[in-house]
Amino acid sequence: MSIEDQIKDYIAKNLLFSDSGFPYDDNVSFLDEGIVDSVGVMELVSFVEDDFRVHVDDLDITPENFDSVNKIAAYIRRKNNLTA
Amino acid sequence: MNLTDYLLENVEDDRVAIITTQGRYTYGELKEATATLASNLVLNGVQPGDRVGLLGENSLYWVASYLAILQIGAIAVPFATATTVEDIRAKQNFVRCKLFCVDRRSHRRFLGAFEGDLPLIFDDVLKSDATLQRPANPFDGDPDADVALMFTSGTTGKPRAVRVTAGNIRANTDSIIEYLNLDREQRILVVLPFYYCFGASLLHTHLRVGGSLVFCNTFAYPETALDMIEREECTGIAGVPSTYQTLLRNSSLPRRGLKTLRKVQQAGGKLQVVFIKELMAALPEAQIYVMYGQTEATARLSYLPPHLLETKLGSIGQGIPGVRLSVINENGDPVTPGEVGEIMAWGKNISPGYLEEPDANAEKFCSGCLRTGDLATVDEDNFIYVVDRKDDFIKCLGHRVSSQEIESNVLQLPDVVSAAAIGVPDDVQGEAILVFATLRNKATTTQEDVIAHCRLNLARHMVPKQVVFIDALPMNAHGKVVKAKLKEMAAQKI
Repeated sequence: MSIEDQIKDYIAKNLLFSDSGFPYDDNVSFLDEGIVDSVGVMELVSFVEDDFRVHVDDLDITPENFDSVNKIAAYIRRKNNLTA
Repeated sequence: MNLTDYLLENVEDDRVAIITTQGRYTYGELKEATATLASNLVLNGVQPGDRVGLLGENSLYWVASYLAILQIGAIAVPFATATTVEDIRAKQNFVRCKLFCVDRRSHRRFLGAFEGDLPLIFDDVLKSDATLQRPANPFDGDPDADVALMFTSGTTGKPRAVRVTAGNIRANTDSIIEYLNLDREQRILVVLPFYYCFGASLLHTHLRVGGSLVFCNTFAYPETALDMIEREECTGIAGVPSTYQTLLRNSSLPRRGLKTLRKVQQAGGKLQVVFIKELMAALPEAQIYVMYGQTEATARLSYLPPHLLETKLGSIGQGIPGVRLSVINENGDPVTPGEVGEIMAWGKNISPGYLEEPDANAEKFCSGCLRTGDLATVDEDNFIYVVDRKDDFIKCLGHRVSSQEIESNVLQLPDVVSAAAIGVPDDVQGEAILVFATLRNKATTTQEDVIAHCRLNLARHMVPKQVVFIDALPMNAHGKVVKAKLKEMAAQKI
């Protein structure tokens, strides 16, 4: 499964509580759609740290890195390249 | 004078009123936007006394709509955006707004909530060049007239709305300005939504003194709030316990050194002492105001003067100017130090009651007095310490146990971000204590660690039988933990 698909699967199950997948585009802003609040963002951060073995600094928890599926995927790839 | 005229009485047109990620707006521009919205409301047939729904995130449009509604003598009904289509429908069925002011984004999100031919005014009206005639007869304003209906959480699952009058808002606003010593130099970072009474009180007070408000609608990413404080040199911030818990445990606040912050306001539930101490250490130059309030009191009821924060740690202080608070025991007498009773409140900010709930009104509002439902004690100087909500006490091994005391103890563990204790039926103990907790990223604390920590620090009847780590505590739209939901989860899973 691609990074994007793993992220969508996680959000669908854990933030949207949906059995029918992630119904948005990969570029959709989580804030604009009300998909996350501060608790939801922290859940996403834990998911990224646990499932992708990425260390997330507090200063990295920004909309630029976490506010859409594509942004999270890009962040994970960037961090993995940096630490590879 | 109508409430909008009162709120804008002291402003200067060329000073900045509102800063958002979209732009900076002066008081002159805010007045223009308000006039545009007022004209649109009148053209849509809104009359004094009509209810107008307001749905959207904090924005120039939201504020202008709110002021316009008040200006023409209609009743503002702010709806939460942290909600569902069904919730909005249920509330609208209850309050029956004649029209909604809604921003395009919220309209798209909650499309199914707007049924039939309900008139809607969108934020586009502020972009339109069309000149509309200003309403000829701004409403004069009756202090006893309802100006807002504020939704609050009821006990029955039915929507519940608190009636708020012009006189209520004026009394509370004047009082808050006095004890916080606010002036036009204040610039507050607003992370709380205006549909929540605490958020609304920030709007009222800062408009009234002609200060400025910086809207941060991205607090889900707490660094964005800290960046805005730095960039806009904010002098104030206001938050509920979860705001500060997030900032202290999951953001760079403790190492940022935010020098411009002078007034830090906290209300909306008890911020545990461990966090107050961390906040004092993180912002040594700021005055930290611990406060207490209820929607039924417009917003605020008490505050602890910052210079007493250390000597009266954990207290909600005393009544704000114009408010009398008394902690009353079961016999109807004021409690003695250490004795627990219910907080009662008197003042011009006390609401006339809930909308269409005569039974609840008779129980909660008695001849100008508000029964808060919060249990508290006092010290020898008559400073008040909230012990718990009446409904949140746990009856364990024959003792009445304060859930907040257990939570406070669990939160001493640095890995714990939030905690909620509930009682679950237990054959041996009556009610056994179950703690739900969330942990910070990279935490290593185990359930056994939590129980061991409680054993060391609490009496036997207060030690939780079980600790459950979950990703998030269920919160209502105001950021308060919903213990009823936790009890449901406990009944289903455990």
